[in-house]
Amino acid sequence: MIKPAVAVRGLTKVFPIPFRRTRVVAVRGLNLEVAPGQVYGLLGPNGSGKSTTLKIILGLVSPSSGSTEIFGRDSREVGSREAVGFLPENPYFYKYLTGAETLRFYGKLCGLSGVRLKSRTGELLELVGLQNARDRRLGGYSKGMLQRIGLAQALIQEPKLVVLDEPTAGVDPAGSRDIRDLILDLKRRGITVLLSSHLLAQVQEICDRVGILANGVLVREGRVEDLLAIENQTELILQNATPEVLNDIAALLKKSSARLIEQRQPQTTLERLFLEATKAPAER
Amino acid sequence: MSKSGHSRFSLTRIAALTGNTFTELVRLKVFYFLLIFALLLIGSSIFMAQLSFQQEFQVLKDVSLGAMSIFTSLLAIVATAQLIPHDVEERTIYTILAKPVPRYEYLAGKLGGVLLLLALSVVAMTALFLIALFVRQEMLVGVTLRQTSGLRPEQVQEAVRTLKASAFNVNLFPGIVVIYLKAALLASLTLFVSTFATSNIFTICVMVFIYFIGHLQAMAREYWLQQNSAGWIAKTFLALVALVFPDLQLFNLVDDIVAGTAIPGPLFAQTAVLGCVYISVYFFFAWVVFHGKEL
Amino acid sequence: MIRGALVALLLLAFGAVRVPIESSLAARHRSAYFHETRLGLDLREQIGQLGFLAALSGFRSLVADVIFIQAHVAWERTEWGRVLLLFREATTLQPRSILFWDMAAWHMAWNASVAARHDPSQPNEALRRKAEQEYFALGRDFLVRGIKNNPDRPQLYEALARLEKDKLGDHAAAARLYARAATLPGAPEYAERFAAYELSYAPGHERSAYAALLQLYRRGPRERLPTLLKRLEILEEQLDIPFDQRIPDGAR
Repeated sequence: MIKPAVAVRGLTKVFPIPFRRTRVVAVRGLNLEVAPGQVYGLLGPNGSGKSTTLKIILGLVSPSSGSTEIFGRDSREVGSREAVGFLPENPYFYKYLTGAETLRFYGKLCGLSGVRLKSRTGELLELVGLQNARDRRLGGYSKGMLQRIGLAQALIQEPKLVVLDEPTAGVDPAGSRDIRDLILDLKRRGITVLLSSHLLAQVQEICDRVGILANGVLVREGRVEDLLAIENQTELILQNATPEVLNDIAALLKKSSARLIEQRQPQTTLERLFLEATKAPAER
Repeated sequence: MSKSGHSRFSLTRIAALTGNTFTELVRLKVFYFLLIFALLLIGSSIFMAQLSFQQEFQVLKDVSLGAMSIFTSLLAIVATAQLIPHDVEERTIYTILAKPVPRYEYLAGKLGGVLLLLALSVVAMTALFLIALFVRQEMLVGVTLRQTSGLRPEQVQEAVRTLKASAFNVNLFPGIVVIYLKAALLASLTLFVSTFATSNIFTICVMVFIYFIGHLQAMAREYWLQQNSAGWIAKTFLALVALVFPDLQLFNLVDDIVAGTAIPGPLFAQTAVLGCVYISVYFFFAWVVFHGKEL
Repeated sequence: MIRGALVALLLLAFGAVRVPIESSLAARHRSAYFHETRLGLDLREQIGQLGFLAALSGFRSLVADVIFIQAHVAWERTEWGRVLLLFREATTLQPRSILFWDMAAWHMAWNASVAARHDPSQPNEALRRKAEQEYFALGRDFLVRGIKNNPDRPQLYEALARLEKDKLGDHAAAARLYARAATLPGAPEYAERFAAYELSYAPGHERSAYAALLQLYRRGPRERLPTLLKRLEILEEQLDIPFDQRIPDGAR
């Protein structure tokens, strides 16, 4: 059996509130597994325990009970983070470092050095499209650029698992699409991705599997298609259908037990419209 | 990537963190403010010394070494206090600790950056101090030569030699090393306080308090150890002060060195070892708190 | 909570281990003449809150220097009471500065005493003499305390010797002090000679003075200075030394 990329077993996290006799239960009895190579989305409203779960997986917070593992190694071991890259929500890095210096710094923390570190830095700056900003200080980066340098930093040691906390929060649609493409690119290269988000449309597009958290409890979990499919309904999308064809279909339906619930013209999404309209003329 | 086990201790990682902390601190406005203030004070000691009567060199040394002592101590506290809160606030700590970096290495890198900054500041200030002392000495040698013109050459030489002997004293170097150790001790203690403090203002306030009490700790200790007549409340209070606060007075040797007291080698070594023990123990305490801290 | 208790316990344990070590290290520091200053509450009353804070935070010597300069200004204005107070503060803050003690004693025994002796506002001769004697005593007191703080250095013994011989006329005491100074590292070579000279002025010590001077004389031509030869001659006369044992005329 292959070890899961991430395994969470019976995880509960309770935060005591100092000087008061109450406690906050952030995560309650959570079980989940992420298979290697999957893109897994952890969904839920703000305060549902997504970030806490990710932090426990990364060893930043210790569990009250239960355990988390990365490729079979307990999160409390520092070594478990060798194969992990992490992008926190709204990341800020050291403002006085340039893009290239930032990647070099994180590379050294992962034990990279010399020529390898140099080539890896160049590669990643290119991957996230920041090669023109490599010698600019992060103090002058836009939010989207920070997100991208954050992603590059997470990938510096070629991790097998990448954890992204709200990767598209506060990023404009074009930037958010870039990040989505990057995630799909990671998936193609066999890297496991665990992300949290409350932007459902995007999650739907890229995730293989999702788990929905509410008040620290996992309420739904499974493959995206399975969760979203309405089992007794079928969608037909026709191109250039004449009224006669539609009439024929209607007649056919009358003879069967099936029932037409809705007939409408499909619409493009607002996102697609926005991207189309804001694309530079040369790209059109 | 190496498939072998993760190394528990890596000087490369600590060096990367130290270098980064140093860069971070060098960009702090407060660093420049303090450093320029200290350098101005040391530079101006040349002229301040002229105001004094009969004790040119003593005033020059007292001003310079006093400035050095207060600047390194203040810098140690102010610089260290904001390191961890800043990383937590900006969430950069998550990106660092999500890498395979043990928490003690993170702390060691932070402390290392401060110690490096303090060392370079002390070297810069010492250099300027020695220049000021030399300039002042040469000025006075000129005056002496004019005043003694006509005397026998060996008498003139004797006068110049006496003057030079009173200007520079090798004992100043151990004194300066002890100033550095005191600042390093304060940095390590500040790191410890900042692991459980709620804000850097809180840390700085606590440290200023510790700084002053630390200079009086020796009194509390001696009263506690000697006086048997005191009531148990007073005794408990004195014992707590002696046990909790560091004895900073032990690291104030430079005043008496300037006044001409010589420091024997073994005594200097013992004082230095005590300083290093303090630094290590406070660092260990910082790790005990930080090791299980929820971020 | 448990961690907090653990850290508090560790802190106290560390204190328990280091307190005896620090106490003995502090004692060793003191025996090397460090930390003679007692930064106590009485000092705070003398130099004020700000000065006290400065003294605590690494500017102790500097505060002493400033007070020393103030004392100098007070001397220029002949405010003797103020000179006395300021020198007490300066010497308390930096008891290892020889100059402070020396200057304090000099101002008291040589300047303030003369001013008191010729004080035009005091018509009573007896009271003026009494004031003069009091300033001698104050000067002596500074030097005695200075020696207590600096027993390892010769300068203050010499200063006290000067005061004993010039102001108090106690040549035997001056001789003892010069002799003590001569045994300390860094003493000038004249200290031993001066001890013998002073002894030669002290009534009742003629025999030992003669022995001391003769011993110096025998060390060679370097010691045979005019005063030494003169004092020897006088003592030879006083003690009625046989002519064949007296030092030859050629040496004079």
